[in-house]
Amino acid sequence: MELENITKRFGGLVAVNDVSLQIEAGELIGIVGPNGSGKTTLYNVISGVYSPEEGRVIFQGKDITNLPPYRRAPLGIGRTFQIPRPFKSASVRENVAIGAMFGTLSGKVSVDESLEIADHYIELIGLQTKKDTPSGTLTPTEKKLMEIARALAMKPKLLLMDEAMAGMHPSDIDNMVKFIKKVGVEENIAIVSMVEHIMRAMVGFAQRIIVMHRGAKLVDAPTAEALSDPKVIDVYLGRPSGD
Amino acid sequence: MRPKIEKYYPLIPVYVAYLVMFLIGRTMPWMWQMVALLAFYCAIGQAFNIFLGLTGYVDFGYVAFMALGTYGMALGITAFYQTGLGIGIIFIGLLLGVVMATLLSLAVGSVALRLRGAYFAIATIGVNEGFRYFVEGAKIWGGSEGMIFSRELKEAFGAEMASQLSTLWADVAVFIIAVVAAFVTIYYMRGKIGYALTALREDEDAAKVMGINVTKYKIIAFITSAAFAGLIGAMAWALKLTYVFPPDVFKIHYTIECIIVVLLGGAGTLLGPVVGGLIYAFSKYWLAVVAPGFQLLAPIIIAIIMAFPEGIMGLVKRRAKGTGWEKYII
Repeated sequence: MELENITKRFGGLVAVNDVSLQIEAGELIGIVGPNGSGKTTLYNVISGVYSPEEGRVIFQGKDITNLPPYRRAPLGIGRTFQIPRPFKSASVRENVAIGAMFGTLSGKVSVDESLEIADHYIELIGLQTKKDTPSGTLTPTEKKLMEIARALAMKPKLLLMDEAMAGMHPSDIDNMVKFIKKVGVEENIAIVSMVEHIMRAMVGFAQRIIVMHRGAKLVDAPTAEALSDPKVIDVYLGRPSGD
Repeated sequence: MRPKIEKYYPLIPVYVAYLVMFLIGRTMPWMWQMVALLAFYCAIGQAFNIFLGLTGYVDFGYVAFMALGTYGMALGITAFYQTGLGIGIIFIGLLLGVVMATLLSLAVGSVALRLRGAYFAIATIGVNEGFRYFVEGAKIWGGSEGMIFSRELKEAFGAEMASQLSTLWADVAVFIIAVVAAFVTIYYMRGKIGYALTALREDEDAAKVMGINVTKYKIIAFITSAAFAGLIGAMAWALKLTYVFPPDVFKIHYTIECIIVVLLGGAGTLLGPVVGGLIYAFSKYWLAVVAPGFQLLAPIIIAIIMAFPEGIMGLVKRRAKGTGWEKYII
């Protein structure tokens, strides 16, 4: 996937400013940046919720800049949300099945097949006991897990995760990172994980880190290099204003 | 994996209710009019639920589809009564009614369904009122005087048969429409359409990102619901009353009644419209007999909604979860 000079404005506010980036198949990428740095807007441009004012979105060689979100998902773009958005009245199993039913390219997955696929991913993520619970009654962490299962059931080639690990217990984060990495490698999914400040997860997960700051790409480098970059330290710790 | 037929078990209580109503009406002729009234409200509830219940969108102009169904039947009868087609003209009328209601819903839906929630509701009020004034102002279909076709009906079928059509077969047809609408409801709910509609009802943006073409599925539900409304209008209004009068058939009052029936019984449940329709129609009928002039219907409805915020079947469905009744209730 490739972003070419993407700019997205909301009125006078430039949320994403001239960002270009490339993601290869199966890559594990972390996007880091403080609140308001344009991370979520970037996700929305990739998944088609917003169309950018300038620039192009290219996915597997095809220009998808003007494609509506429901046509991008089947191409292989799955995502989870910062604040989980389960289909509340539907059970966990039904939620995940919806991903399998509509999120694949052939579009010919039957209801029964989708439910079987759902069972597979629910087991993978460890929510078997909650399978028939209405998703609205899950705990926040369970909702996040369910969203990941729902996105995986779409058989994505690119999975965008938005703060998937925020609010989780550190030991859960470690397990989660291991799990996501494993699935990403097994199913050859490029995974982009975005966080505000859980570096712990990033270090263990990402091969490459992109740091966003005020709508622009500040750093794009392999993990170790990115984290020791003085510009990154600036953004996170600040520097005396006279400097 | 559950066997296929079991998916349709929730139809059993619905059909039992209709069968009991029908048998009561047939065995006790003095009850027929009341039973017909009950069936009418169950049927419009069942039809409206396909849209309101499954998508969560409120159409305040719903009665316009019933009105067009009524006009369709009126046009069918007045245009073809001399052709000697016999019962065929009723089918032509039905077909016209359905086609007209469907076309209007397609036109309204493809524009208004791109709007969200409340904006959609507001747009649809305008469509109903606009259409009524269009019919009256442009003087089409009899304009503000409407159409009366009892004479045509008698000429085509003879006095005896014409009266039978109005007092018996029109009501029987409403039962059949309700039965078919219930089947279509569960067919949708159990299929991909149902999953798509659940997703978009709960979170439209998330649904889109999951690959669901939300506008398409909303339009499917809208058209289906409108087509049933057209059928009901053609039968319960045109054929039964043998006239169409614009202020009657475009009355927003009926849309409100549809909404009440669905919400009372439980939006998005299969049995809800039946329960809602029975409670609403029976209270209305019975209160008009025992306490005419006292506005008791509204307080009763308010009390029921307060007690059952998700509708009566909404609560029953929740209670039935995990029990043996689960597979019969949806």
